[in-house]
Amino acid sequence: MEYVVVRFPGSRPVKIDGEFNGRTGELIELEAGTYTISLGAPPNFTPESQQVVLKGTSALNPKEVVFDEV
Amino acid sequence: MRCRWVIRWLVLSLGILQGCTHYLANAPLERYDRQGGYRFEALQPGPGNTDTVFLCLTFSGGGTRAAALAYGVLQELRDTTVTADGGSRRFLQEVDCISSVSGGSFAAAYYALFRDRIFQEFEPRFLRRDIQGELLGQVLNPANWFRLMSPYFNRIDLAAELYDGTVFEGKRYRNLTGGLRPFILVNATNVALGSRFEFTQEQFDFLGSDLGEYPLARAVAASSAFPILLSPLSLKNYPSPPGYEVPASVRNAMKDAATNPRRYLWAKDLLAYQDKAHRPFLHLLDGGLADNIGLRAVADAYTRGFIRRRINNGAIGTLAIIVVNAHTEPPENVDRKENPPHLATVAMKTATVSMENFSFETIEFMRGLAGDRTQAQQDVAACQRLLDARCPGGPRLTAFPREVRLHVIEVNFENLQDPKEREFFLGLPTSFALSDHQVDCLIAAGRRLLRASSEYQALLAELGGRPREDAERAAGFPSGGCRASQ
Repeated sequence: MEYVVVRFPGSRPVKIDGEFNGRTGELIELEAGTYTISLGAPPNFTPESQQVVLKGTSALNPKEVVFDEV
Repeated sequence: MRCRWVIRWLVLSLGILQGCTHYLANAPLERYDRQGGYRFEALQPGPGNTDTVFLCLTFSGGGTRAAALAYGVLQELRDTTVTADGGSRRFLQEVDCISSVSGGSFAAAYYALFRDRIFQEFEPRFLRRDIQGELLGQVLNPANWFRLMSPYFNRIDLAAELYDGTVFEGKRYRNLTGGLRPFILVNATNVALGSRFEFTQEQFDFLGSDLGEYPLARAVAASSAFPILLSPLSLKNYPSPPGYEVPASVRNAMKDAATNPRRYLWAKDLLAYQDKAHRPFLHLLDGGLADNIGLRAVADAYTRGFIRRRINNGAIGTLAIIVVNAHTEPPENVDRKENPPHLATVAMKTATVSMENFSFETIEFMRGLAGDRTQAQQDVAACQRLLDARCPGGPRLTAFPREVRLHVIEVNFENLQDPKEREFFLGLPTSFALSDHQVDCLIAAGRRLLRASSEYQALLAELGGRPREDAERAAGFPSGGCRASQ
C-alpha cells in the first residue's frame, strides 16, 4: 500500500477521486496508482484539484500534497 | 384433413409458446444516482452494529456443504456476545458485509433477506432438501420441455424459478431488510471476460441497469451456475442513463497499467461494459471460476472500496474477516495406476486445481495486506517513541487517523485436529443433496472450527467476547460422530 498526506492550513475532509477518503494532516493509505485529490467545502483552496501518482512511499515517508488557502 | 389442421395448430401454438418464453431480464436504470441503490454506503449499521468493529464474512462455494458450514458459523456468531465498544450484544449483529460464491450464496442471501428467520427456516427450506433432485424433476417435467426449447430460456432459468419460489419468496434486491447491513456481495463470473461479477448497484451502474428490481434468486443462481451442469445466466447491458459518468477512480486506474496492473485490470474489466455496441449482453457462470472463496470482493473493498474509505475516515478500530472455506480433497487414486487419468478426470482437475491454488493465494494476499497495515502502524508508533525520547517536545509524525487491529480468520476443514474427522469432511461431495447426518456434522464443524481458531480467540479477547454457556453443546458433533471410518 502507499501513503499520502494532504496539507492545508485548517482541518478539512479530503476527496480522492471524488469520494471523501480521509482528512488533511493525517496519513491516508491507498493502493499504488493515479489519483485526483481535492478538498471538501468550502471551496477556499487552490489549486482546485491535483493529480498524483503514488508509488514507492511509506508511512514514514508519505507523498505530500499541499493546498493553499485563498 | 382435420388431423392436419390440428397438427398445424399445435405446431403454431407451441412455436408461439416457445418464442414467448424468455428469461427474466434485468431492468434498465431510468435515473443515475451515485448514492442510491444497493451499495454499502446506502445501508445503515442497524441495532447493535457499531461502526468501530467491522466484521466481514466470506462464504465459499461447495454446494450444500458450503451453505451448511456457513450456516454453522452464523449460529456461532449468534451465540457469542461481545461487550467492547457499545455494550453487550450478539456478535452476529456486528456483521457488516458478506461476500459469497455458489453454495455459500444461499446462506448469505437468506440471512440478508430474513435475518433471524434463517435459524428456524434455512435447514428445512434448503439444507435438508434434495435441491438437485428437484431441479432434475423440473427439467424432466414435460411442461418445461417447450420452454427449454426457446433459445432465450435455459436450465439456469428453471433453477432460478425454483429458488425464487421455494427459498427466496420472490424477493428482490430492494426488499433487503430495511436498508440495514450486512451488505451482501453475491459473486458470479463473466464468461467472456473471465472476471468476477458482483451483484451490487456499483457494478450494475456499468450495465445501465437497476439492481433493485432484480430477484435475489437469479443472483444466487448465477453465482452457483456450475459449468455444463447448468447453463450461464444472461443479463442485458443497457445504454447508460442520462447524467451517468464513469467514476474518476476507474478513469484514473486506466493510467496504471505499469504502476499498478491489478488496479488497471479492475478498471479495464469494468469499462468493458461501456462498450454497449459490441457487448449488449453478458453471460454469467459460477462465481467459483473467478474466486471460489469470495474473498476477492472483500480484498477489493479493502484496497479501493467501501472498507478503504471507512479506514481512512477513521471509522474502523477493529477489522475482522472470517473466511469460511468449504474446500475438500476427495480421495485420490490417480497415482495408483500406470495409465493416465481419463478425459473427465483431467477436465475436472483442470477446472479445480488452479481454483484451489488461487484460493490459497487470495487468503495469503489478504493476510499480507493486513500485515502491511499493522507494520506501518508499528513503524510510525516506534519512530514517534524514539523521537519523543531523544527530542522531547519535538515534532509529531503524521499519524493514521486511527489504529486498526486486523484479523483474517479462516474456517477450513484442514484445521480439524482429529485425522479421521478431517478425512470425513475433506471427503464430502459437492452436491445440493446431502444427508441429514452430513448436514448436522457440517453445522457443528462451522461452529467448532470458528471457536477453535486462535485468531478468532484473539479477536474475542479484544472485544470482550465469549460464547453463550449453552453454545458449547451445540458445537458438538451429532451422535454417531463425524469420522471417516463410519
